Amino acid sequence: MAKGLDIDHLAKLARLNLTADEKVLYSNQLTQVLTYFETLAKADLPAVSDVAMVVSEKALRSDEPGMSLGSDAVTKIAPASHDGQISVPRVVDDES
Amino acid sequence: MAEEIYQLSATEISSRLAAGKLTSRAVVEALIARYHQLNKKIGAFTSLDEKDVLAQADASDARRKTGKVLSPLDGIPVAIKENIAVKGQPLTCSSKMLANLVSPYDAHVVEALKSAGAIIYGRLNMDEFAMGSSTENSAIQKTFNPWDLARIPGGSSGGSAASLASGLVPLALGSDTGGSIRQPASHCGIVGMKPTYGLVSRFGLVAFASSLDQIGPMARTVADCELLLKVLATPDARDMTCFDSTQRSQLPVATEKSLRIGIPKGVLGKGVGAEVAAATQAAIDFYKSKGATIIEVDLPSSELAVPTYYVVATAEASSNLARYDGVRYGHRSSNAKTPIEMMTNSRSEGFGPEVKRRILLGTFVLSAGYADAYYVRALRARSKIRAEHLAALEKVDMILSPTVPTPAFKVGEKVSDPLQLYLEDIFTIPANLAGLPALSVPCGKSGHLPVGFHLVGAPLSESKLFAAAQLFESAHSFANQQPTL
Amino acid sequence: MSNEWEIVIGLEVHVQLHTRSKVFASSSWGFGKEPNEQVDPVVLGLPGTLPVVNREAVEKAILFGLVVDAEIPEQCAWDRKNYFYPDNPKNYQLTQKDFPVTMGGKVEIELPGAARNIMGEHKWIRIHHAHLEEDVGKLSHSGSGSLVDYNRAGVPLLEIVTEPDLRSSAEAAAFLNALVVKLTQAGVADCDMEKGQLRCDANVSVRRMGDIQLGTRTETKNLNSISGVRDCIIYESKRQIAQIEAGNKITQETRGWNAEMSRGYVLRDKEDAHDYRYFPDPDIPTLKISRETVNRLQKLVPEAPFDRQRRYIEKLNLPYTAASVLIADKALADWFETAVAAHPTNAAGIANWAANDLLRELSAQSGAEIGSDETPAVKISLDSCLIKPAQLAGLVKLTDEGVISKQQAKEVFTEMFKTGKDALAIVEAKGLRQNSDTGELEKIVAEVIADPAVAKSIAEYRAGNEKAINALKGPIMKRTQGKANPVMIDQLLRKLLG
Repeated sequence: MAKGLDIDHLAKLARLNLTADEKVLYSNQLTQVLTYFETLAKADLPAVSDVAMVVSEKALRSDEPGMSLGSDAVTKIAPASHDGQISVPRVVDDES
Repeated sequence: MAEEIYQLSATEISSRLAAGKLTSRAVVEALIARYHQLNKKIGAFTSLDEKDVLAQADASDARRKTGKVLSPLDGIPVAIKENIAVKGQPLTCSSKMLANLVSPYDAHVVEALKSAGAIIYGRLNMDEFAMGSSTENSAIQKTFNPWDLARIPGGSSGGSAASLASGLVPLALGSDTGGSIRQPASHCGIVGMKPTYGLVSRFGLVAFASSLDQIGPMARTVADCELLLKVLATPDARDMTCFDSTQRSQLPVATEKSLRIGIPKGVLGKGVGAEVAAATQAAIDFYKSKGATIIEVDLPSSELAVPTYYVVATAEASSNLARYDGVRYGHRSSNAKTPIEMMTNSRSEGFGPEVKRRILLGTFVLSAGYADAYYVRALRARSKIRAEHLAALEKVDMILSPTVPTPAFKVGEKVSDPLQLYLEDIFTIPANLAGLPALSVPCGKSGHLPVGFHLVGAPLSESKLFAAAQLFESAHSFANQQPTL
Repeated sequence: MSNEWEIVIGLEVHVQLHTRSKVFASSSWGFGKEPNEQVDPVVLGLPGTLPVVNREAVEKAILFGLVVDAEIPEQCAWDRKNYFYPDNPKNYQLTQKDFPVTMGGKVEIELPGAARNIMGEHKWIRIHHAHLEEDVGKLSHSGSGSLVDYNRAGVPLLEIVTEPDLRSSAEAAAFLNALVVKLTQAGVADCDMEKGQLRCDANVSVRRMGDIQLGTRTETKNLNSISGVRDCIIYESKRQIAQIEAGNKITQETRGWNAEMSRGYVLRDKEDAHDYRYFPDPDIPTLKISRETVNRLQKLVPEAPFDRQRRYIEKLNLPYTAASVLIADKALADWFETAVAAHPTNAAGIANWAANDLLRELSAQSGAEIGSDETPAVKISLDSCLIKPAQLAGLVKLTDEGVISKQQAKEVFTEMFKTGKDALAIVEAKGLRQNSDTGELEKIVAEVIADPAVAKSIAEYRAGNEKAINALKGPIMKRTQGKANPVMIDQLLRKLLG
């Protein structure tokens, strides 16, 4: 396994369930890919990245309220809803 | 007419509509007939609302009768890749995750096409969430290369390329993050362009890698491709990365004699198939014969392009795809006890293996302790790649290479080797990393399989690229070719 | 609290900015709408949607920076904070980690004085930075499930982070009061805490007095009232001190506050690994902030409230209490200064009316309560006040000139508030001019003194009981239909009684 590649930890961060077989498969595949990325580690690179686009205030939006979807449209797309709100399983109480 | 309607280019259809020799309805009826005949075999379209497209055709014909033609594209069908939002139509991105999603809004490009009177014609298959180079990652159906039905059409815009090569539609939209328009265009013998980053609005394009994605035109001729791009490339305040009206001036076109073409050192060497190399060399020789200057350019950072791309693209994708959790729309898993469990199950059920693989990789390169070694370094590498290309493009008008090292491979051939697949993109990726316009043009065959050559230009040099491509196309007979099906 | 311990507090204040549309989406927002009515495709995070930054939100953030003397950088940028939660539509929050919209700054606070009418100590609290981000939706619980309303998702939030300069719950409360006054007076935010427009996270640590090292701190999140912040700091500092004195270490943790039971508790982790994987948002380019915009907004910065207070006390000779009340409401202070312009010789007199009677009447009219810690800036509306500043000045002038007594002025004021008529017109209409005719009054005073009914009181007065003299004033007033000049009556009585 590539240095530092903790597939369980990554799956948790990414909210993915992996079967035991998938864990092995993905670990191996990711390791292979990361090894290929070694060229990046060794390369001579400029100190800073300057790829970010820069815009002036012209690109900002004026504060005019636009159209809303309406709660009917929102609940229509939602997998489950109740009285205009989207339902989900019970959030575990924060209070310990 | 000697040719069938399905064989006509969009430009030809447009002039016949204008001359009253053809109606939009006749065009659409012919294409629907071909769709019924071939789509099961090719698998290009995931859906087509026949009633709707006929109604659009009738509306166009009615406009023409009253002299209210909206544009040269009025009445011409344009098929749309299924990661571009069309109001009232599925937006599945060929994923189980969004199998039930109907978009409540139109993408900017779709609004632009509608304003031009074009017919929004069906939904096209793709690799799931645009992740892949073969369209084998679609969760909906398979798409096959019209030139060899045992082979892949390329990806992720495989449905778009296949629909054009099989005469199912004259124009199509694709999206390109690392080559997803150009590579399938090359594999299917059609023309595909990825515009300068920022030229075409991404509003309504389901994001894969935000700093790399672009929507682009695909067609069977250079002129058609250019015609379609003109309609798509308009300002849009809903996308902050899209150029405003003052930032769109195109670079001037180069004449044949003043054209300078850069060839990257060793580009036809290791890894490139012999026939691909020969076809590309023939294109170079053609330009030379027309008076162009051929200059060798050195782009040493190109070896960093694939790792840089996969770090940046998967990092952005891991974040862009976080919203798919079954809460607000899309697939929701049943029987979960907590929201976290529900989100995790929905995502695990909804995403295919390539998507999961890239999300995991992207999560890793952004994670604490590794972001500096991978993500931050990749951004710096990207700077270097862009700087090298811009420097080279001061000395030449465009850089030429093959589009893909080898022609279309067999279905299933590379599925178990992700790294192999990633290397398909070696020539196309730098243009995405550098934000530069790039075009794939058919230039011959490798056996019976199409080969394309690849042109990359400086920002806003689309006209220059189209002119050079037109020069090549007019002197050869690779344009508007379809296999017999 | 014992002197051997020092409490160190830093606050992160989340303020909903005063805009009409959301910060990255154009749907409207505001309290009290039906669920999911203020949601558009961008807010919902539908596939293919993109953020566009709201100019007004940026300008309000810059204005805040100018109000607290912060530095406004040449550029700012937005980052993604990645974590999964049902109230987070994209499962990442757009925020500013490395290049926020304002850097530095300071806020002057005033601590309670020894008594209500004595000004307390002033102190400066430094601001580390403020950044512009989006709010999340609202989760509520119902039976066996939970419900999500995304109306609040995407609302512009300015997160203001202080340096750990606060040293007590009183300082924290004073800081929040001062901040709210500044934010509301500049029009940056409405800060209505009942509507959730201002929430606070409190970072608290303790250390032995004299220690240079900071102790381990805990963070209590989502405090939504100033008394909550105050109580939480007292609770948490006590808890930490008790822990250390018992030989235990303080765990760095995130906590919640139960306001009903006045106690804190450890929050179960929302995101186990707390690895937010921040990276620059690729959909929002870096924003250049022009100096023209900064200069234009600089002109909108109002006079700092405590500068105004100092000016009132030193230049206008107002007592501290009146000055302090006036500066809390910019409209009222502006109104007051207009009145003073019409009658500059008795600013203190005008202030007395404005800070007490006028404020009381306006508050009663709007239904708000004065003097509550929860609403430091009393919400009154001067727009519908029938009394104009010059008219109040006129009333004060009449009492200064002795035309009416202070007692009578109260009656006139009540009428002015109801009708908006001029003071003089009311005085004439009611025949309220007080009687200051010395000759006539002396005659009446002498008559009353001669009445045997008051002989006892006179005797008591002469024996040294000052208050006994008041017993004679009633009959005098009666004989003058209440119009006798009370000052004059008092003087005449003392003169005639010896």
